Amino acid sequence: MTPEMDDQGCPRCKTTKYRNPSLKLMVNVCGHTLCESCVDMLFVRGSGNCVQCDTPLRKSNFRVQLFEDPAVDKEVEIRKKVLKIYNKRDFDFSNLREYNDYLERVEEIVYNLTNNLEVEGTKQIMEAYQRENRDIIQKNKAKLTREQEELEELLLLEQQGNEQRRLETLQEEQRQLQAKRKSKQALLDELERSHVPATILLAQHKDRAAQLETQIEKQKQVVKTTIFSTGIPMGQTVSLLTVNRLEEVLYHYQPIHMHTYGPPVPELEQLGRLGYLNHVRTAQPQDMAGGYNSGLACHRAIQDAFSGLFHPLG
Amino acid sequence: MFHISSQKKYWTFDNEESLEQLRYEANQKYRNKMLASGKPGVSDAVFLEAHEENVLFRHYEKRLLDFCNAFKPVMPKSVVGTAIMYFRRFYLNNSLMEYHPRTIMLICAYLSCKVDEFNVSSTQFVGNLVQESAAGQERALEQILEYELLLIQQLNFHLVVHTPYRPMEGLLIDIKTRYPLLENPESLRKSVDDFLTRVTLTDSGLLFPPSQIAMTAILNSASRAGLSMESYLTECMGLKEDKETLLKMYDAMRRIKSLMKKYELPKPDEVNAYKVKLERVHADFGTNSNMYRGESVYGLHKINK
Repeated sequence: MTPEMDDQGCPRCKTTKYRNPSLKLMVNVCGHTLCESCVDMLFVRGSGNCVQCDTPLRKSNFRVQLFEDPAVDKEVEIRKKVLKIYNKRDFDFSNLREYNDYLERVEEIVYNLTNNLEVEGTKQIMEAYQRENRDIIQKNKAKLTREQEELEELLLLEQQGNEQRRLETLQEEQRQLQAKRKSKQALLDELERSHVPATILLAQHKDRAAQLETQIEKQKQVVKTTIFSTGIPMGQTVSLLTVNRLEEVLYHYQPIHMHTYGPPVPELEQLGRLGYLNHVRTAQPQDMAGGYNSGLACHRAIQDAFSGLFHPLG
Repeated sequence: MFHISSQKKYWTFDNEESLEQLRYEANQKYRNKMLASGKPGVSDAVFLEAHEENVLFRHYEKRLLDFCNAFKPVMPKSVVGTAIMYFRRFYLNNSLMEYHPRTIMLICAYLSCKVDEFNVSSTQFVGNLVQESAAGQERALEQILEYELLLIQQLNFHLVVHTPYRPMEGLLIDIKTRYPLLENPESLRKSVDDFLTRVTLTDSGLLFPPSQIAMTAILNSASRAGLSMESYLTECMGLKEDKETLLKMYDAMRRIKSLMKKYELPKPDEVNAYKVKLERVHADFGTNSNMYRGESVYGLHKINK
């Protein structure tokens, strides 16, 4: 059982959500959930009170729950209603500070209504605002609807374009199939009628089929692209901001030079040749299995012996 | 490696005088703190002088060495060297009157086992305190764990100590490979070891690089045995042309040897007299955690201030 199914039990019938994952939960204005069947049962008896908080409800106020937490759904509903009234946009204000203050006020109203704090006072504030800014609200509403219409038109156009393309490709395929069938039929006819030997006819047919294929290929390629996927038509010069040329010095690798304050230490690889390893305990097979060899210990001892030997003292 | 270590950067000083100065300042700092706190019975005479602290320091250091030598299982020499170095560094910046050396000595050994990867469990460690009962060992362990962080802090978190033992091995290998004039370097090993043990009881670790100390040990033992090794430095180390570095080397070796000569075991009657004074100071003014059993955390906070 996934955690989402486990999550929300209907507070009334408790079990139905688990048994029936497709059962939807509905939220209402008080922020409490009820499954669909419980909603029906509640309003069959004519009483309209929430099970948990006993607020009077209407059946139309129930909406399908979109979010896991019913409180979020409640807030979303309230927000929609508030924003219908408080629908000013950023260009309605003279400076950023005022816009931010306005947004802050809106948020406070939404918060108060969601958490049932000072509901009366908040509602009064909202009504006052509505009365004062009636015409601005109307104007913005009109603007909003216009914008939405434009968006919808664009969407529609796009959809139509897609449909057309789909139909065209279908038709193409049909035509190709038909052409193939025709040529086959023609071959059969010719085999029946003509006096020319069969092998030559077959060869001719194959030739023709090949030609047809190449023709189709060429047609496909002929579909010229006139426009980039971002919408910029090809061939248009796009003016970009000039990028400053950075002149940097080319990096040259310098190997690290470590000042050891002592005589130079022979390299690890040279130790054997120089005879150092004769004076170190030889590595046992079990040591060598782990990657150890006597040169490592020898090298470390020599390094430690020489490090700081010529260290200047005060 | 030593040349990039924190030991070279922060814990190698120029001369004995700067060490003396640091110890004197630590002593003064404690005195002033106590005098300023205005506790009853505080007067100059009650506190130890810097040279008296030195006597006690040497005494406890010797005890630390004995403890490490009697340790079961056998403690590798580098662990012993590290423990003594921690002890020395700690009391460079702190006064014996503030933190009792008896405790700090054990913590140094414990920390050194951990740092040098000589794995001893804490119970095994306190099991080596043979003169204490089981309860006494428990209490000792509690004290160790309490002050461990303090020790690390006072070491400024520089926990890696380069002792002269590995350089000594390296030099022996080098001598055997490149210096056939010396016939049997192994014969020197015992006296070299002896020298190195004695050198850890001096301040040389705080003044010279461990490779120089090892070199001194080997050359000293060779000359004691009547074998000449002068050409080792000039030929093998390539110092024939570099007279200046050669002189500096000889100078360093001379100084190490003089430090060794100056060291002497502390006299028992002096030690006892100063010990009495120390115990008095700790009993009167110390935040001894054995007294505040339940408030030992509180005690630690007070010290760390």
